This record gives sequence, structure tokens and C-alpha cells, in this order.
Amino acid sequence: MAKKNTYNSVAVRATAADRVFNICVTIFMVLLLIILIIPIWSTIALSFRPPAYIGSYLEGMFLAPWKWSAGAYRALLGNQGFLNSFWNSIKIMSMGVIVALFLTIPMAYALSAKGVPGKKWITIFVMIPYVFNVGVVPTYLLISKLGLTNHLPSVFMPVALSTYNMIIMRQFFEGIPNDLRESAFIDGCNDLQIMFKIILPLSKAIIMTIGLYYAVAFWNDYMRSLLYLQKSSLKPLPLLLRDILIGTSMNDNLEANAFGTAPIEAIKAASVFISAIPMIIAYPFIQKYFTKGTLAGSVKG
Amino acid sequence: MQRMISSRNYQLVADMDRLKSQIKSCDERLSDAVKQNDQAEADRLKQKKVDIVAQLKAKKSEYRKAESRALRAEINRHKYIYMMLLIPVVYYFIFRYIPLWNAQIAFRDFISLKRTGITGGKWVGLQNFKTFIGSYYFWSLIRNTLMYSFGKLIVSLPLSILLAIAIYECTHKALRKVVQTLSYLPHFLSWVIMYGILLSLLSPSEGIINDIIKLFGGTPKGFLTNTTAFPIIVILSDAWKEIGWSAIIFIAALMGIDGSLFEAAIVEGANSWQRVKYITLPSIKPVIVIVLLMKIGTILDAGFNQLYMLYSPAVYSVGDIIDTWVYRGTIEGKFSLATAAGIFKGVIGMTLLYVSNWASRKFTENSLF
Amino acid sequence: MKKTLIVLLVALIAMTAVFAQGAAETKSSGPMTITMLYAATQTEVGSLPDDWAGYQILRDKLGIDLQLQMLPSNANDQNVAVRTMAAADQLPDFITVDRTVWADLVKQGMLADVTDDFAKMPERSKVMFGPSSKNFTTYEGRIYGFATPSAYAGNEGLLVRKDWLDKLGLKAPETLDELYDVLYAFTYNDPDGNGKNDTYGYGAFVEDYPAYEAYPGRRFEPLMGAFGVEGTWNMTAANFGLRIHDPAYYDFMVFLKKVIDNGLIDPNWQSYKKDDFRAAWKQGKFGVFREQNSAYASENNYSPFDKNFPDGGFIVVDAPIGPTGKRSVGPLVEGFRIFAINADCSPEKHAKIVEMFEWMSYGEGYMLCGYGMEGVNYILDKDGLPQSDASLGDLGYNKAGGQRYIQLRNSSFNYNNPQETALRYPAYITAVSQKRMSAGDVLLEMKAKTWTPTPGQNSMPTPASTDVYTFYQQGIAEFLNGKTALTPANWKAFVEQFDKIGGLEWEKAGYEYAKANGYLQ
Repeated sequence: MAKKNTYNSVAVRATAADRVFNICVTIFMVLLLIILIIPIWSTIALSFRPPAYIGSYLEGMFLAPWKWSAGAYRALLGNQGFLNSFWNSIKIMSMGVIVALFLTIPMAYALSAKGVPGKKWITIFVMIPYVFNVGVVPTYLLISKLGLTNHLPSVFMPVALSTYNMIIMRQFFEGIPNDLRESAFIDGCNDLQIMFKIILPLSKAIIMTIGLYYAVAFWNDYMRSLLYLQKSSLKPLPLLLRDILIGTSMNDNLEANAFGTAPIEAIKAASVFISAIPMIIAYPFIQKYFTKGTLAGSVKG
Repeated sequence: MQRMISSRNYQLVADMDRLKSQIKSCDERLSDAVKQNDQAEADRLKQKKVDIVAQLKAKKSEYRKAESRALRAEINRHKYIYMMLLIPVVYYFIFRYIPLWNAQIAFRDFISLKRTGITGGKWVGLQNFKTFIGSYYFWSLIRNTLMYSFGKLIVSLPLSILLAIAIYECTHKALRKVVQTLSYLPHFLSWVIMYGILLSLLSPSEGIINDIIKLFGGTPKGFLTNTTAFPIIVILSDAWKEIGWSAIIFIAALMGIDGSLFEAAIVEGANSWQRVKYITLPSIKPVIVIVLLMKIGTILDAGFNQLYMLYSPAVYSVGDIIDTWVYRGTIEGKFSLATAAGIFKGVIGMTLLYVSNWASRKFTENSLF
Repeated sequence: MKKTLIVLLVALIAMTAVFAQGAAETKSSGPMTITMLYAATQTEVGSLPDDWAGYQILRDKLGIDLQLQMLPSNANDQNVAVRTMAAADQLPDFITVDRTVWADLVKQGMLADVTDDFAKMPERSKVMFGPSSKNFTTYEGRIYGFATPSAYAGNEGLLVRKDWLDKLGLKAPETLDELYDVLYAFTYNDPDGNGKNDTYGYGAFVEDYPAYEAYPGRRFEPLMGAFGVEGTWNMTAANFGLRIHDPAYYDFMVFLKKVIDNGLIDPNWQSYKKDDFRAAWKQGKFGVFREQNSAYASENNYSPFDKNFPDGGFIVVDAPIGPTGKRSVGPLVEGFRIFAINADCSPEKHAKIVEMFEWMSYGEGYMLCGYGMEGVNYILDKDGLPQSDASLGDLGYNKAGGQRYIQLRNSSFNYNNPQETALRYPAYITAVSQKRMSAGDVLLEMKAKTWTPTPGQNSMPTPASTDVYTFYQQGIAEFLNGKTALTPANWKAFVEQFDKIGGLEWEKAGYEYAKANGYLQ
């Protein structure tokens, strides 16, 4: 009996080799699931750890849910600066993704077109800064000269065009068969129209993926926020969480724990989840675009 | 000969070649005539040669004009491409090349923008590079950095590809959805948290692994402080954290494979293994190659955040990489040292990238540039 | 197509303008704007609220519009932030900075000379700025920063589980041998009586400061003191040098290795971070360790231990006496926090900053920075001392809401004020075991133990090259780990190699510095 594989549009006749294949795939996936779930589950359990917890690590990982305490989450979400930081991060991420895609897509498309004079040199021009990561200070000097310090765009502008992401996108664009472009040229379209009318609709999956990469990078950034956003009102979420996660107060005479209702490990674990929430919510929506809907192959066969 | 821009100029090239061979035969006959002391013939040939040379010159200039016309036409045809490239290129210039220019502070006694400016500091040449390269630990740092980069590449890349294919080929819808959703979550756990998880697994006194070892009568070991175990832990924990996320790009690539290829394969009687081997993998080969090349370009970035969290002096000998060593130096304010190390990494990275790009172009027909 | 592009471009520009929040400089002829970079009391609770009365008072009485910037809570991040700001000439007017960064900034001419400003701060000078404080920020004869006390000196001590001692019939250890026996008993004789072999004698984590408490660091100092090798340096004029050159250091290594090899120390000591270490003693994993008074005894910090072990408790013991009769809990390091003024400030601004700093140190300014606003964050008791009261609810200065109001406390407290101590470390009754605990009492006990005074040691130079200290750490770690066998020959080779790659230079630089600043004892 043919088992309908929903990813391939063809019905697969189940030969013996196929059955073995399916079993292997399933075993692999289950194993991977168990291995991958351990850090996630233990972090969840950790974030609900009650204060004054005592016990071995193993017990801690599988702490019964009725013993859980939401103290860590209450402490974090009740933090004065939390909502402000959250909102700052949302702003940075949304502005950043738009600017990033605005820069990346045209360049990726342009470099994927055939027969463009000088394309090779432009690619090399782009690759040189990719390998030369000269560190924090030279970029800082530029940003301060541009007057971007204490402005939210300073967080995403230096990395709004990631060479890595652009090259990957270019690769996907190159995979779209040339005949589509050629026939469009013959019909009198120029490159802009081809990009908007033909290439982009076919590339939803990769654009969503690259957009996701950018979004995550901007959402999680703390290095640039640390350097460029000096005002406390501009502090984005990762910076706030970093203070909590690896903070060693200058004043080590801690007579009062700011989060007295929860052990510090729980606070750290909870902060990780809270910062990952937008991604966890957004990803299923993006997964929708990962369907077998692209008309032409996005890679050369 | 430089690549011709327009094939329409083929005729001109043929003409030029013809003229060139005419000149050659002219020369031969001229030398014969001189030997035979035939002055009249020699003069005639000289004149003919001058004519042909003039013709050749004319043809060459005609060719150049035709080529540049073709080039201009080509550029004009693609004018929107250049327009699209304009803003990104300007962005690159501002946000990537100006910092590279600023990076000259690695060669100077830089103090601040106002006091010395970027170009005002005294030139100290290669002093910072000498400090870096002459460090007692230089070779150990290089070795460790490469060990982790290559190790992670060798372990994580195949695993993430396998994961992507498994997700793509899995027939259980529920399992597939669950794995796909959960596999990328560890990427969001910062290394601070992962460190805690590793500690709970590997702690010499009560880590779970050691509990299991004790159960079987063995003696518990300190894995995180053991120089043999440490690199393995680093590489495996990185894979653990990242393969789900890295698989995303390969899943996107798999989504784009033309279904008709599979249909054809089925018709020819291929089973699943063969299908994967002959269709699926080759189809995403370009993406794999590009990802690999990009990673080789940054091979000397081996994962600072992870190592900084996990290492300790007991395992410095295998855990200290370029970036962690530089970080300890930067805390003391040696910015120029950090920049010098960055430039060093860039030079190596560029060289490796060029070489692997060439190799890739030769052997797999895919390349970055 | 073109239209869409233009629309997109305009939208982009509009968005950037709308969303970008700028550091708008409102140039008013009124109050002078002063930017201050400060180290918050507790970074994670958030910045000083806008309704803090101090802002208005500064505006009205001193003509200052104070703009605060909070430093990140992590020391490394702080240094990176300050250094990059300095590199771009964007240092705020009044900064808090640690000594290593301060030293570089002074050399680069970024910080203002404040030698003559002490005379303008009579109230503050009454309680701070002794000779060692001024020495701390002196460079080539002039003073470039205000070094205020940053912590109570001698606020750490060696704690031992009293209930374990009682259960095993042991008395508090005095000598090193007695301590060893206690550690042994704690590890193998089931002191907590739960039938499981899950306790250790000693507990520690790596907390090292190259300048004065080098690897393996602060938590091992009481053991090093037994051999007379506490701290990084021997600061006496007669025997100046790095402790690692002292033959007794080898004896210390042998002792520590014995402790490690016999399993008497929690083996996670090399992997623990500070929070893990603290969680561990609260879970009763080990019975002897060096801890800070507040981290041990303050209500919030002690309560998890209290909940887990209502019958448990600690005593503070003096450092063990070693084979040669020496003892020391560790080097008594006076901690200072440096406040410095940006050299680019105009003379008027410079004077205003000094005025503000003085205002913060007494009377109204002191109360506002240290305790918040009367009636909101504290009320005065019958002795006129500020107390946090239940009636103030969440805004009491020691509650989560009120803690935001005391973020500037480090600019006003002087850490040798008994009133401050009593208020910061009030006595309380523990929730479960109904004991009377007081971090203030513990502090006094700890201060009374044997310490080695070492003025100036926390400003001693660090090695010129990172490699020297890396070699130091790595070498000692590998001996303790067993990777390198601890034999006199190997040790000698290690020290010689250390000297060769820069250890001797470090020692020489230390000697020059100590001599020049009169730190030799």
C-alpha cells in the first residue's frame, strides 16, 4: 500500500528497503528528540524551582510539576524595567528586520543575475569585510561619529546587511531556473519587475528564513546595546537579562536579593524562556511558508 | 584573451586573427626576400606590411568600440541591477570599510578620537602583531581554535543535514512537527544556562553521568576539568545546541526541490535510500557548499561565548582560543591588540576562503565568486 | 515599481525618525547638565525613578540637572563600556571607574586633576579620604580621582558547620592539623546523619584577582595564610616578592593537593561560579568555607539554608595555625571605588560636580541617596534613624519597589559608619528556626579575626603581558588537578619558566611601585 508522504507529492511505493528507511528515519528522529529535549525540559524545570530547593541534579531535572513555583516568572515580569526593555527590543527587532531585508534582498537578487559585468568584483568587495572582523572599537568610533549613539538604530545598523545571510539568499535565487528570467526579459520586463513579480513570490521560504535569522540576531543582541545605548530607558531585554544572568553587583554586600522569592538559577532559566518567547510564538507562523509550494526548484537539480 | 562581451564581435576577432597571420606570412616572405637580396620585393612587402598593420589597427579600434558598445548595452540592460546594488554597496562602504580604515589603530598608539584621532596616533607598526604572534601561547591558541572550528564543522554540519533530511522524509506527521518545532529551541538557551545543564550532567560529585558511572562501579571523573574530555564536551554540546537551528536552512532548501525529479526516480524504481543518495543530496549540494565555504572563511572564530563560559585555568591548555585570550587582554584595555588579532584572523580567513573557493569551483562547479 | 520604491524609502525614513529616541540636549540657560556614570546598588531592579526628590532639589538648590547613566553590573562589561566611551571622547562628566581602567585613562589625560578639590569637601573628608585613599588615586604627585571606601574591610571569614561539629563530637579547629581532621570527618563520617556519603569538608570556587589574591584565589586564602603565603605579594621591605617564590608556597600546594586527592573538598570547586558555590553551601554540600558576612547572614541569603536545615548553623572561626605558627584569613584589602571627573569639563562644571559630590555625603543629600525619600522609602524612628517600615509597603528601601530609590547609595555611604552598619544589617529572627541572626554581628566577629594588613596591595601592577598570568593560573591548576605531578623538581621548573616568560619582570615592577608609593612594610 502506498503511504502518502506529505512532503513529496508522489506516492511512495513501500518496498522493503523503503520500510527499513522509514524505520531508520523514525528511530533517528526519536533519539534526537530525546537528546534535544533534555536541555529544554531541565531548563523549564529549573525555571519553576521553588526557593530553598534541595536535592540532586537528577531530581531537579524531573521535579514534579506540583512542586513548581512561579516565583521566578513573577519576579521577572514584575520588574519595573522589564516591560520597557521588552518594548525596546520589539522596536529594534521590527525596524531592524525591515531595514535588513530592504538591504539584503536587492543585493542578493542583483548578485544572482547572470551576465552582469563586474559582478565578480562586487562579490569580492563584499567578502573582504566578511573575513576581517576587526572588533569592537573601530565600529564604535564610526557609530559615535555618525551620531547614532543613544539611538535605537545603532543596534541593528552595523549588522543590517549580513554577508552570510545575503550569500545564502543569493544561492537560493540562483537556483531559480534562468528560463523564467529570460522569458520575462523577452516579454519586455526589466530586472526590477522580474524581482518583484517573479522571483520574490517564489522565494517566500528563504525570505522568511533569512528574516527569521535577522530577527533572532537583533532580538538577542546585547553587545551593541551595551556599547551604544547608554540611557537606561533605551535598554533592551537581553541587556537587562544579562545583568541578571551574570551580574556581579559592584556592591557585593547583598543584604537584599532583588528577587528574594526565587532561587537565582530559577531566575536565570526563566529569563531565558521569557526572552525566547517571541521566537517560539513566531516560528510556527513562519513554518507555514516552509511548504512545498514553490513552483520551480530553488536549487539546481 | 579576455572574454568577449558580445558574440556578435566574433567576426571582428576572426578578421583580426586573419590579419595577424597575414602579417606573419608577410614577415616570413620579407626575410626571404632580404636573403635573396631582392630589394624591389622587399620594398613591396614592406609597403604591404604597413598597409596590413594599418588595417589591423583599424580593426582593433573597431573591435574595441564594438566591445565597449556591447559592454555599455549590457550595463544598460542591467541598469536596474546596478541601481539595486547602489544602496547596499554604500552601506557596505560606510559600515564595513570605514571600520576597516579605523582598524589602523592596531598599528598606532591610539588614545581617543579627539586627542589623537584615528590617523594621529604615533605609528608603532607591527608591534601589536608581534605581541600576538610572539605570545608564549600563540601556537596553542591557533591549534585550539582550529580544533574547535573543524571539530564543530565535521560533527555539526553532517548532523544538521541529516536532521533536515530526516524531517523532510519523515512519514509521521506528528513526530515531524514536534521534532521540527523543538529542535531549534536549544539555540535560544544561552551558554550561561547550558553551562548549568552541563554541570548537572558532568559534575564530578553528583552529575548524572557520574551517577551512572558509580552505579556501574566506576570512579567519578571531573569531565569539565579534564583536558582530554573537555574538547569533546565542547564540540558535542555545541552540536546539541545548534543542529536544530542550522537545519532550518537545509529544510528550506529541501522544500524547493522540484517534485518531478522524485517522480522520475520513482518511475525508474528507485527506493528511498537511492532517492536520497541520487536526488535529495545532490539537489541541496550547492547550499551545502556555500554554507561550508562561508564557515571556512570564518574558521578562526571558534565560539567565544561557549568557551568563555565553560573553560577554566585547569583546561586553558586545550580551551583557550584566540578570542578568549584576546578578551583577557582587552579587559586590560589592549584594544589595539584585539584589532591586530582581528586583522590576523582576517588575513588567514581570506586566504583560506580564496583557496577553498578555487577548489570548490574546480571540483564541484559551485563557488562563492 | 518606482512608486513602490519611493513609498518604501519614505516609510523607512519616517519610521527611523519616529522610533529613534535621541539624547536630546535641551540647552537651557538654567541648570547645568551634568552626566554621571554610576554603579548602581543593585542593577537588576532598574534605574532611579524620575520622581526621586533629589533631582528637583539638585536643580533648585545647586542648579544642576543630573543625567544618570547606569554601569552594567558585570565588571568586564563595565570596563569595556568605559574604555570604548573614552576612545570616542564620549565619557560622561562624572564617572565611577575601577582602578585598572582609571590608571590607563589618567595616562591618556582623560581625567581631571582634583588635588585641590578635597578642601572644598569638608563634610565628606571627615569620614573618608585617609592617606591610603588619596594614595590610591595619585599619579605623579597629583590626585586624579576620589577614592571612596567600597566595602567593609575584613567582611569575610571562615565558617564551620556547628551542628556537624557537635554531631561528630569535635571542637572548633585551631591548627591546620585539626582543620584537616575536621575536613576528613565532615567528608567520611556522615555529619548530617542522613546515611548517605554526600558531604564534603571544604568548599570553594575560583575567585582570583591578579593584583592581590592570585589563583587559586580568595576562598583559599585561610589555607594559604597557615603557611604565610596569603595574597599575591609579600609586602614587607625585607622579603618583598611574589608569594609564589616563597618556599612555603610549595608546602601549601602539597597540603592543598592532599586535601583534593583525599576527596575532602567539593570537587566542583574548579567549575563552580559564585552563585553555584552559594547554592551549594545552602544545600549543605560542604561544611567549611570562606564567605562574606552579608552573603551568609542577611535574611534573604540565609533563609534557604534555614529552611533546609533548621537545626543547622555556623560559627566563625579564626584562620588555622600552620606548621610554622602562622595564621591569616587573608590579605586585608581596603576596597576603594573611584569617582573621577572628565578632563574636558569646564572649570564651572568641575566645581559644580565637586559641590554635588559634597552634597551627597551629608545631611539631606546623604539621606536621599542612601535611603530614599522620607515618608516614602523610610520613616525616622525615635532615635532619628531611618527605618524601613511595613507601613511603607513595597516602597520601603529594602523592598523591591523601594530599592530603585537607593541606587545612588554608593555615592553617599562611607562604610565605616556604625549607623549604616546597624541599618543595613539589622538583627532579625529566622523564619523556621526562630534564631536571632545579624549580619552586623557577624561582620564584627569576622573583622576581629587575624588579617594581614596590606595597604596598597589592590593597586599593585598586574603583569605586562596576559601570558604571564595565564601561565601562573594554568600551572597551578595543572598541579592541583594532577595533570602535572607535584614534585619539587617540577615545581622548580614551573617557577623558573614562569620567571623566564615575565614573572621576574612582574616582581620587579611590583617592587618599584611599592617602593615609590611607600607600601613596603
